[in-house]
Amino acid sequence: MTDIAPSADALHALVEGSGAINVGSHAIEVHGLEKHYGDYHALRDINLTIPSGSLTALLGPSGSGKSTLLRAIAGLEVPDGGTVIIGGSDVTYVPPQEREIGFVFQHYAAFKHMTVRDNVGFGPSIRKQPKAEIAKRVDELLEIVGLGGYQERYPSQLSGGQRQRMALARALAVHPKVLLLDEPFGALDAKVRDDLRQWLRQLQSETGVTTVLVTHDQEEALDVADHIAVLNEGRIEQWGSPREVYETPANTFVMSFLGPTAKLRGELVRPHDLVLSKRQIDDAVPVTVERVVHLGFEVRVELRDGESTDLSAQITRGEASRLELAVGDQIYVRPGLHVDPVAPDSAQPAPGLEKTSA
Amino acid sequence: MILSRTSRLTLRTVALTYLFLLVAVPIVLIFYRTFEDGFVAFWESITTPAAISALSLSLLIVAIVVPLNVIFGIATALALVRGRFRGRGLVQAIVDLPFAVSPIVVGVSLILLWGANGWFGFIEKDGGFKIIFALPAMILATIFVTLPFVVREVEPVLHEIGEEQEQAAATLGASRWQTFWRITLPAIRWGLTYGIVLTVARSLGEFGAVIMVSAGVPGESQTLTLLVHGRYIDDHNTFGAYSASTLLMILALITLLLMTVLDQKRTER
Repeated sequence: MTDIAPSADALHALVEGSGAINVGSHAIEVHGLEKHYGDYHALRDINLTIPSGSLTALLGPSGSGKSTLLRAIAGLEVPDGGTVIIGGSDVTYVPPQEREIGFVFQHYAAFKHMTVRDNVGFGPSIRKQPKAEIAKRVDELLEIVGLGGYQERYPSQLSGGQRQRMALARALAVHPKVLLLDEPFGALDAKVRDDLRQWLRQLQSETGVTTVLVTHDQEEALDVADHIAVLNEGRIEQWGSPREVYETPANTFVMSFLGPTAKLRGELVRPHDLVLSKRQIDDAVPVTVERVVHLGFEVRVELRDGESTDLSAQITRGEASRLELAVGDQIYVRPGLHVDPVAPDSAQPAPGLEKTSA
Repeated sequence: MILSRTSRLTLRTVALTYLFLLVAVPIVLIFYRTFEDGFVAFWESITTPAAISALSLSLLIVAIVVPLNVIFGIATALALVRGRFRGRGLVQAIVDLPFAVSPIVVGVSLILLWGANGWFGFIEKDGGFKIIFALPAMILATIFVTLPFVVREVEPVLHEIGEEQEQAAATLGASRWQTFWRITLPAIRWGLTYGIVLTVARSLGEFGAVIMVSAGVPGESQTLTLLVHGRYIDDHNTFGAYSASTLLMILALITLLLMTVLDQKRTER
């Protein structure tokens, strides 16, 4: 997987031919989107604007509506209400064929009876472009996705990661205004997933094509996205930069979905924001050390407070050796001074998000 | 289950004897009787004007029934797999009906419906277009008995390939028609071919429904199966009946061979 970094020339060629960059505007706008499946309310008044050239992650657990939202943007689902605007024009009832999008499916959706060349060239050939031109573009794209020389293979002769890169090349072949990825790395194993993630990040930042990525993996979202929309039960709970949603979560759901949490006096805090001390400071809570786990550069301390609830704190190795913690010790724990703990059920409006009538 | 050597051998012998007596012997016997007097006699018997006419009629019916079954079979399979409509269960049952209904019942009901006194009798009475006791009825009867094959062979393949490839084609700009020709059809082609082969075999062999609605005139409205019947029962020409049977079997063998080859290809993929 060392040869998949896009070459500068190839990237240049891609950007040259691409209508992807329209600086300053919003590539995608979604207003008041609603979708029902029978009794199931899949999307509830979704409002979202995605800036041109950005990589946005739709993050949420399964059943949160993230894929439905992406498919509504693609035109693969027709919403019950609301509007979808791509590149300034209302496409709510425009079929996917006319939306100028690229879509990548979790399970690749490779055309099994076609070679890699015909798969990638499918979009251009539908547009009746000259054969020589298509062949040239296919070769370019395959070079970019690291599949140069694989033209005559069939999808069944490729690994999962290669198939997904082929699917990406196929989506890019039609110069999409926006690139939509539905859990693109969900079916791949961890190592390949990490590599492809970095590679996608690089490809995206260099081509500048507006990209929306659906994922249930918060690490993936934090890693690659410029913006994250956190979805739950058909609503956007919060929209913001990875740092915003991680450090200033709008509510307990966002807090607990984006990382580990510990409950202290009924409030949620991140385990690494807990401060331990041997002396009672201010309003610190007395706890007993249950277990000390050394995880390489950091140490996890499992604690139990007077009400017999468990919580764990994450501290540095230096901190741990300074405190000389041993199982059974009575110590004190409080949230770090810079931390603003999230009280359960506090429904703050999500920053960066239009008012939702939830 | 562990069987002793003796009982295993006994079981095998019984099974093989059964197969041999009930299937192989009758067929071999027909072949034997057909070629008893040499190939020339057989050849002369199947090249009489009546025989040539019967062969052409059988093949003509196949040539009309197969395309119709392909078009409506694929459409029905697509509706059953992709469609979300009320009464899907009912449609499923209707598609299987020809498997359950005896062909002779089909013949009778066709006369009831299309005959001079039937619901659609006006077509013949007022339009002068003969249906019953003519080619159209024979085609209708053959379509009825062969209808399930294409649907039932294509349906599972459609289920298996899913909708994602078609959706991917749509996002790449392909119209529904382009998607059908370039994505769906190539994906279902093995199931479709198998369905066609079954349809051909059944069309050639159909007798019960066709005899009810055919005028049965030799050299005019006899299919190969009707020729066998006519020669044997009406003309007491047993040798002629054997020859026509052998011709039918040769056609069936070719179809079967084709099916086996295709099936092998299908499992290879």
